[in-house]
Amino acid sequence: MEIPLTELKEGETGVITRIEIGFGRGWRWGRGIRKRLADMGLTPGTKVTIIRSAPLNGPIEAHVRGYKLAIGRDIAERIFVEVQR
Amino acid sequence: MEKRIRVALAGNANVGKSVIFNQLTGLHQHIGNWPGKTVEKAEGELHFKGYTIEIIDLPGIYSLSTFSLEELISREYIINERPDVVINVVDASVLERNLFFTLQLMELEIPLIIALNQVDVAERKGIKIDYRRLEEILGVPTVPTIAIRGKGIHELLFKVIEGFEKGFRKPAPIKYGSEIETRIKMLEEALRGAGLRYPLRWAAIKILEGDEEVIKEVRRVRPEALTLAEKMAKEIEEIHGHPCPTVITSERYEVAGKIAREVQRILPTIKLPLSDKIDYLTTHKVYGYIIMAITILVTFYAVFGLGNFLSEVLTNVLYGYETIFVGILGSGLLRDLIWGGVIEGVIATITIALPYIVPFYLILYALEDSGYLARIAFLMDAFMHKIGLHGKAFIPLILGYGCNVPACLGCRIMETERERLIAGFLSTLIPCAARSVVILGLVGKYLGVEWALYLYVVDLAIVFIFGRIAFKVLPGEAMALIMEMPDYKTPHLKTVIKQTLFRLEEFLKIAFPVIVISGLIIKAMDLLNVLYIVSKIMSPVTVVWLGLPEILGVLLILGVLRKELTLILLATLLGSQNLHEHLTPLQMLTFSLIVMLYVPCVATIATCIKEFGWKKAMLIAVIEVFFAILLGGLFYRALMALEIFR
Ligand SMILES: Nc1nc2c(ncn2[C@@H]2O[C@H](COP(=O)(O)OP(=O)(O)OP(=O)(O)O)[C@@H](O)[C@H]2O)c(=O)[nH]1
Ligand SMILES: [Mg+2]
Repeated sequence: MEIPLTELKEGETGVITRIEIGFGRGWRWGRGIRKRLADMGLTPGTKVTIIRSAPLNGPIEAHVRGYKLAIGRDIAERIFVEVQR
Repeated sequence: MEKRIRVALAGNANVGKSVIFNQLTGLHQHIGNWPGKTVEKAEGELHFKGYTIEIIDLPGIYSLSTFSLEELISREYIINERPDVVINVVDASVLERNLFFTLQLMELEIPLIIALNQVDVAERKGIKIDYRRLEEILGVPTVPTIAIRGKGIHELLFKVIEGFEKGFRKPAPIKYGSEIETRIKMLEEALRGAGLRYPLRWAAIKILEGDEEVIKEVRRVRPEALTLAEKMAKEIEEIHGHPCPTVITSERYEVAGKIAREVQRILPTIKLPLSDKIDYLTTHKVYGYIIMAITILVTFYAVFGLGNFLSEVLTNVLYGYETIFVGILGSGLLRDLIWGGVIEGVIATITIALPYIVPFYLILYALEDSGYLARIAFLMDAFMHKIGLHGKAFIPLILGYGCNVPACLGCRIMETERERLIAGFLSTLIPCAARSVVILGLVGKYLGVEWALYLYVVDLAIVFIFGRIAFKVLPGEAMALIMEMPDYKTPHLKTVIKQTLFRLEEFLKIAFPVIVISGLIIKAMDLLNVLYIVSKIMSPVTVVWLGLPEILGVLLILGVLRKELTLILLATLLGSQNLHEHLTPLQMLTFSLIVMLYVPCVATIATCIKEFGWKKAMLIAVIEVFFAILLGGLFYRALMALEIFR
């Protein structure tokens, strides 16, 4: 099932299916952010484990490719993953 | 002839490039445990084996693209200036992501050496790396290093010389999937003979990736190659179902991952329960904020307490010499000038400024080197969105409490021009160490520490309000946060002390001459009665509107040079450190409030000009002067009406 990264619970892992930034609902940020995410290792097929999420629409912290990455909620909402249970 | 080698340090953010730079050159690049400290290239030199080796420290980047400032600076340097060697500093504990960048440097076909740094951290995480195997696979000389302990730095230099003398082997480029490889080959053919200053293969890959800089150049000399590239990018997108740049990045990561898995062995680790626990607590929804508040308060009280204590000790010691000096100098004009102008100023600096500055920097650098600042950025992200910024902007703001100059420069970690301007503007409103000297040394000392604390709280409120206004004036969506979270570590004591001493040295080097000269000027003005005239001219503002003693007007003008001057010169002018005999509590508060808010010092203004241009810098300065005076007067009247200090 494909869900946004923000809907994963703490400790859950998902595999990235698509990143909806640079077009569609996420057009505002353009390609810069999309490229930055890819450069940081968030490419389709990458496993992401949620470590924690900050309150009040704060960012999430995730485990990606052996390191920890903080991602703003507005971006994380546009990263879609297939949940691995 | 002198033999010169130019060596650039490049790599991901927060891997230890600046530590290596400092080790090699003996210079003082800023070091800390969060990504994005170095925002501008720095140069240094050393002599080794008959060579003059020029070292260039570059901002940390994750890719050779051109979307952010630090990427632009580093890439421009590597591509345009073509250093003789690039030392790619790699964080051994995050090998895959670091190799992703190494692969890009290899594609660029520049002479390369890998410094496999932080092997101690990797080992603690249970990661063991076979660096010889890595060297073999990549075809790039690799040296394991522990930069903070100076381990491997020498070997690194040997490799540089060796490579320079014997020549570097050209590493084999990485292979993409066949559907991409065939297209790269065709593009290479299309670009052949176009006279680009890049390697053909790299240029071909970059136009497939949609790299704007390279595209711009190709458009001039070979526009038909771009049409071809666009068509191919579409085809690749159809095959993979993702945009072509994403596909290429993906494949590069695939290769990086494969190499990483091949050379590293991950052993089951002895968990670091304490570090995990601290991480958990300091980013917790509730405890995180409580801990943040406590940290700030503890820092505040520690700086104040230590500062006061040191100040008293130093005052007692130094004023003990007064009679001796007076005895030597006798009395008269010379004594007035030298004692009143110079020595009083120097003593006041030592007894008023240094006691607060030193403890503050020790604490700030320790916090910075622990990795805590990144956690604060994480916690404050949602809040910062309310002023059109994101969490990362909070880091330069915190650094602003040390000095506004690096804070303002540090705003380059923000992605857009608009965010850099807002963050830079707000950072000039943060009371730096010099302003804290005035707040703590005047208000804190004579009215009680809680009044000083109120001033800081008022300042934060003002920062927020101005942030909101700036957000309204410069509307736009806040770029969202994407930030590596560094692991916590015990602050490296030597680094912390070294950086503090360096700060102190800088302070003394710049502050003393300024203080001595302005001390002399003000004393001379005093003796010539000019001081009186200037003060009179300013008195409608200082006396009538702000309710301050006349002489403070001149101090506020000189304070533009350095903010702590206001307090130091006040002590000099009055010839006394017992300021409460000359100022009422209300005057102290109003004065400190104004010093806290009116234009930052000349150094900060100069930085603003450099970052944002004349117009915007002047606008910031003018706004802050008027605002400070306006608020100061209102504040004075409000407290009068409330009869708080009766
Ligand atoms: N344990 C350990 N820590 C290291 C080592 N090298 C660097 N560090 C720490 O890593 C952190 C980052 O070092 P810097 O030199 O500031 O990193 P940088 O690559 O210049 O970072 P940016 O300028 O932000 O790109 C600091 O806290 C250093 O003390 C090492 O070999 N071992
Ligand atoms: Mg650096």
